[in-house]
Amino acid sequence: MTLLDRRDVLKLAGAAAAAMAGPALAQSNPALKIASVETLSGPGSTVNRLWSLGLKYCVDKINAEGGWNGQKLVYAEYDTEGTTGGASQKTQAAIADGAHIIIHGGSSAIGGQISEDIRKWNLRNPTAKVLFFGPGIEALELTGAKCHYHFFRFATNADIRVRALIAGMKAENALGKKVFSINQNYSWGQDIQAALEKGAPENDFVLVDKVLHDVNKIQDFSPYVARIAASGADTVFTGNWGNDLSLLLKAVQAAGLKVKFATTFLDLPGALSSAGTAALGYYHAEMWNPQAYGAFGQELWTDYKAKMGTVPSTSEAKSVLCLLILQKALKTIPATGKIEVDVIAKALENTTYDAPTGKVTIRPADHQLAWPIVVSKVEQGAKFPFDGTDMGFVPLKIIPAEEAVNAVQASCKMQRPA
Amino acid sequence: MTYLLSSLVNGLVFGLLLFMVSAGLTLIFGMMGVLNFAHSSLYMLGAYLGYSIGRWTGFWPALLFAPLVVALIGAFIERFMLRRVHRHGHAQELLLTFGLALIIHEVVKLFYGPYPVEYAVPAELAQTAFSANGLNFPLYRLFIGAVAVSMFVCLFLLMKFTRVGLTVRAALSQPQMVEALGHNVGLVFLFVFAVGAGLAGLAGAVAGAFYPTGPNMADDLGSIVFVVVVVGGLGSLEGALIASLAIGLLTTLTVGLDWTLAGALAPVGLSEWASSIGGPFTITLSSLTGSLPFIIMLLVLLIRPAGLMGERA
Repeated sequence: MTLLDRRDVLKLAGAAAAAMAGPALAQSNPALKIASVETLSGPGSTVNRLWSLGLKYCVDKINAEGGWNGQKLVYAEYDTEGTTGGASQKTQAAIADGAHIIIHGGSSAIGGQISEDIRKWNLRNPTAKVLFFGPGIEALELTGAKCHYHFFRFATNADIRVRALIAGMKAENALGKKVFSINQNYSWGQDIQAALEKGAPENDFVLVDKVLHDVNKIQDFSPYVARIAASGADTVFTGNWGNDLSLLLKAVQAAGLKVKFATTFLDLPGALSSAGTAALGYYHAEMWNPQAYGAFGQELWTDYKAKMGTVPSTSEAKSVLCLLILQKALKTIPATGKIEVDVIAKALENTTYDAPTGKVTIRPADHQLAWPIVVSKVEQGAKFPFDGTDMGFVPLKIIPAEEAVNAVQASCKMQRPA
Repeated sequence: MTYLLSSLVNGLVFGLLLFMVSAGLTLIFGMMGVLNFAHSSLYMLGAYLGYSIGRWTGFWPALLFAPLVVALIGAFIERFMLRRVHRHGHAQELLLTFGLALIIHEVVKLFYGPYPVEYAVPAELAQTAFSANGLNFPLYRLFIGAVAVSMFVCLFLLMKFTRVGLTVRAALSQPQMVEALGHNVGLVFLFVFAVGAGLAGLAGAVAGAFYPTGPNMADDLGSIVFVVVVVGGLGSLEGALIASLAIGLLTTLTVGLDWTLAGALAPVGLSEWASSIGGPFTITLSSLTGSLPFIIMLLVLLIRPAGLMGERA
């Protein structure tokens, strides 16, 4: 048999197979593609990788339950290399690979870039739009001046966190009259400080002193600790994360300063172990808390550990919750031959997710999630120990979503598709 | 007043820590003309080794062994790496140390993981030296300062009053002449590099117990140590001491100062106008604390490129 003959045979076989599979092919619908565009290399990668790990775990879980549209979800990771330029490139790459939903959790600066890129892409390519989810980017402007129909913030923001901390600590009689604000000098830290300035008169406390410092440049926080002591504050609010939080808490511990801290990122790896026992009695506000989530929290904790090897940090848990809400919204959409992200966006707006802490909704006006917030306190011997210590976050108060969420910012002028 | 006092002591101690790390860097540069990018990585290695050895032997022996091991690593780097690329010029040496810094960073992450380790201050030093205004001043801070001061005294005496110091200083300015006089300049280089590395290791082992010992500690301190060496004058030990103390004190004291340009314009009555414009006029000095050392470096390079005490430009 010559080569040509063999090819003909193959062609015939292929045609026959196609003919047989024909009816099935016509029915088979496209798979939903999810792209995690995250900082996976360089200095920020150790913390940012957690978002991708959580997404991977949840995509596998949804696929084990049958996926959506008769197909398994397709998941891919793209590395921003920690720069907005890299994020732009990789967003384009993800769109070129056919992604329907792009997700970034790590940084408001990088997330802001991706959000703008996607807004422009969707304007120019109305037949191939994509959605952008932010499970961890909390700068206010993303649902303010920069809001758009295709961005959903699956996270809290500075206003929500500060208001929840104030409400929770007031209920415990732990807020005191004098509050100190120490924050990183960029959008997130400035937002926290502004939220405190706004909250002071309504909540009957005085912001005795406030300081913004350079991000990730301060080696020795003891002068700041001296400034806190000099102010005579009862409570210190900080939005610091990573090194800036660990070093600050280490300096507080070394100085033996007896003051309560109200924090937003104390539950990420590295923070509690740096603070040591000084962290006992600190307050924390976050949408996720394994203990407050009861059986759901326990199951995620053990199942995640079994599948991924480590217990889930808050970032991973927030990635998982983000996709579970998406899964619920997708269930309301009938199988389709062409995936329309505007339909998914509409379904998300109408979705109510029943978290163990209460109902979760997505506000159509700015696509900010309204999520019940758990205010917790660091205690020894907690049910779910964090960060290799024997300390954990014991829930004190759950603030219902509608109370917790901040008002829609006037700067958000969302263009809805016709 | 107590705030000022505790800030002064804090600033001095932080300055002395900076000096411990930058002393080795400036010595190595003065001697060999090599700007060692891996120097702060050796500082990090010192901290991790102090932590690891300390788990077997306790804190005090680790404080002795960790710098020795780092000095040996330094000797190895000089003898088998730097010396090989030396004849190709400074650019190659620079690239080599840059690569080393990256490799050490990754190796440390491989062995110890991406998060800080629990390197704790020993119980006998985990006490309060004095209390002021409800703030404890940790004894360990004074210990860091004491180690740095004794290190400076030893180095100074060694360099000024011993034969070894004489040879080292001679080899610093006239290597060919010293070689012609029968001294083994290669051995002197090896010695200086090993001592410089060991000093960084000592600084790491001492400071790592107080500040978090994590894979980012090299990057965190790296850039500011370069600032110290440049401001002090490349190769000058005294310059490094002055620059370290100045930067330590400045970054500490400015934390409490909320001065703005708008405030400075108050005497001429333009304060409100400037505040209404905002932008650079309302940036507080305290929010620039982390950037101040770099602004100073820029000024020094513009006005006195050789640094405060440096001889070569």
